[in-house]
Formats: sequence, C-alpha cells, structure tokens
Amino acid sequence: MKLSVRMVVVLTSIGLLSGSFLATVGHLTKERIALNKQREIEEAIIQVIPGTVSTQKLYEERDLSVYGGKDEQGTVIGFAIHASGIGFQDRITLMLGTNTSLERTNRLAILDQKETPGLGAKITDAESFLQYWENRDCSGAISLRKPAARSAEELLPSEINTITGATISSEAVLGIVNSSLEHTRRLLKEGKLSSEAQDVN
Amino acid sequence: MSTKTIGQEFIKGLWDENPVFRQLLGLCPTLAVTGAVINGLAMGLATTFVLIFSSLVVSSIKKLIPSQVRIASYIIIIATFVTVADRFLAAFFPPISKNLGPYVPLIVVNCIILGRQEAFSSKNTVWRSLIDALGMSAGFVLAMLVLSAIREILGAGTFLGYQVMGAWFEPWIIMILPPGAFITLGILLALALHIEHRTKSRK
Repeated sequence: MKLSVRMVVVLTSIGLLSGSFLATVGHLTKERIALNKQREIEEAIIQVIPGTVSTQKLYEERDLSVYGGKDEQGTVIGFAIHASGIGFQDRITLMLGTNTSLERTNRLAILDQKETPGLGAKITDAESFLQYWENRDCSGAISLRKPAARSAEELLPSEINTITGATISSEAVLGIVNSSLEHTRRLLKEGKLSSEAQDVN
Repeated sequence: MSTKTIGQEFIKGLWDENPVFRQLLGLCPTLAVTGAVINGLAMGLATTFVLIFSSLVVSSIKKLIPSQVRIASYIIIIATFVTVADRFLAAFFPPISKNLGPYVPLIVVNCIILGRQEAFSSKNTVWRSLIDALGMSAGFVLAMLVLSAIREILGAGTFLGYQVMGAWFEPWIIMILPPGAFITLGILLALALHIEHRTKSRK
C-alpha cells in the first residue's frame, strides 16, 4: 500500500474505533452523571429547607434557579435559591433556603467554591460562617458586620458576621445572596414562582 | 528492544527512572492536585489506568502505524482512555471528579504517558510494555502519595481526611496553596538526588 494511503487508513480507523468506543462509554454513563447532579441539588434543597420531602423547580435562568421545597401534603414550605457568582478566585455556587414570603432565611449551603484554603474556603464552615445565615431577616438587603462581632447575639437580625481574613469571600457570598434574593422577590411579585403554573414537568 | 529482566523493568519505574523524582515528567498534576491525599491518589490511579491501556494498545498495533502519524495515533488512543477515566469518575465518584476538575482531562498532555509510548511501547513487546507501564504508574502513584501526604498532614493536620495531628497543631496553610507544592517537590527532589549521590559514591 502506498504510504500516504496507509497513513489515512490507519488514522481514520483509529479515529473511528475510538469514536465508537467513546460513544458507548458516554451512553452508559450519561444517565448516572445526570442523576448525580440532580441528587446533589435535591440534597442541598433538603438541607436548606428543613422538613422538605419533595422538591419542584419553579424557575430557571442563567446563574439563578428557584426550587420549592414541599412537605408531605404537597404545600410549598420554602424556596431554595440556587445561584452563583464570582468569588475571590472562581465562581461560588450556593443554595439559600428562605420562607415562602422571602422575608426570613432558613439556611445557606455552599455547593461549589475554589476560595483560598484556610481563609476564603471558610465560607463552607458552619461555625465560622454558615451558622450566621440561619434565620436572618432578609426582607431588605442583608449586611455584613465588619470587623466581625464576637458573638452571634451582638448582630442585628439582618446582619452576617464577616470571616476575619476573608472579607472578599464573605462579601462575594453576600453579594450573590442579596442580588439573587432581590431577583427572586421580583419573580414572586410577578407571580412566576407559583407551583401550579409549572406542574407540567 | 530492552534487555532488562522483567523484574528490573518494573523496578526502574519506582526509583531509577521514577517519572516524577528522576525524569521530572508530569509535574502539572503533581503540583496541582496533591493538596489532599485522596485527590493525589485518585489522580495517580486515573493516570495508571490511562498509561496501562495506552501502552497495551500502542504496543499491540505498533507495526501497523506508519511512523509519520505515530504521535497523532498515540494522542487519539491516550485521549480515548482519558475520556473514559473522566466519565467514569464523574459517574461513580462525583466528589472526586469535582475536586480534580480539569486535571483529569489534562492527563492527555501528561508527558509520562506520551513519553512511555514513544520511548518504550512503540519498540517493545506487549508483555514488556505492560510491565513498564505498571512500574511507571507505581512510581507516579508513589510520588503523588508522598507529596500529598506531606502537604495534607502539614497543611491541614489530616491524612485522608482523618485528624492525625493533635489540637495543638496549627495547620500550615501555605502547604495546601501552590507554593507549598513547589517547596515540597523541591525538597523531595533534593533528597532524591542526595540519596542517588550517596549510593553511587559507595559503589
């Protein structure tokens, strides 16, 4: 066989074989990977809206999704806001649980972050950061206490303690929360968050 | 063709030709993902999988591949196994897949793998290539383990997530950050060279 023909034949067959092999692997793992992603989101919703037995996606757009957490009767008992934004190093993705009037927070969970280990990464730490997000007044904008207060009692109902040494990461989380809360409030006013409207899926 | 015994073929990857400590190959993942032992180990095993299967395939079809297109062929073969490893981790070990991020797909450009195909599998039998791949992988996993163990213990006070240092221990955050990777690797390389000189001068 001529060399040029042989080169084409060999490369094409290697490409075809590898392509079909990969198609099989992709097909076999696709469902599981999608399921993993869905499960991760569901677990986070249950974590931020205590008492949730089933969940429903109410609204979705880029960087913001709103889920409803339902109790056994199927009544929505809270919203879970899934939002992301820029942190100190990379994007931070979080899930914030609120009550149905969007006036009180339940809990906050950080799903994905690449902040500096030991400093900014403390945003995932319950003791130094996440505990302050429980049961806060979010009818207006939430603010940060800088420098950090020594105990949770000193904080106003709408205040969050800053992580000492990681102001930028704390502010980034606060920014994502406040802007997504405001956005969600607008959606609620426009009636886009009703669970009936989306029951199709 | 290599003239070593099978045993020597395996052992050389662990020390004499250790990909990280002696050949300084594949340093990108070595530096990037060794902040925690579990990540280092997962990276080592994923690389092992890719190296073994690429070596098996390349050594068995080496006579069919014209030398002009050999690099392109090796890359397709390597990329195939890398994608398999990536999908497998995403499907069955999602937390690890998330931690390793882009570094699993980047195994494609890990010089250890292409280097072994070019230097060894394309010139040796399937059996010898398998032993060579096993030895090189073992050497790589070993390097990843040593590096990540030092960094995790000093940087977080834990080993595989279990607390090993007492409450008195203040973690050295720098060890988990990129500079910690360079410092640790530098010290280990110096140590490896030192041992090498000592053993040579004794002979």
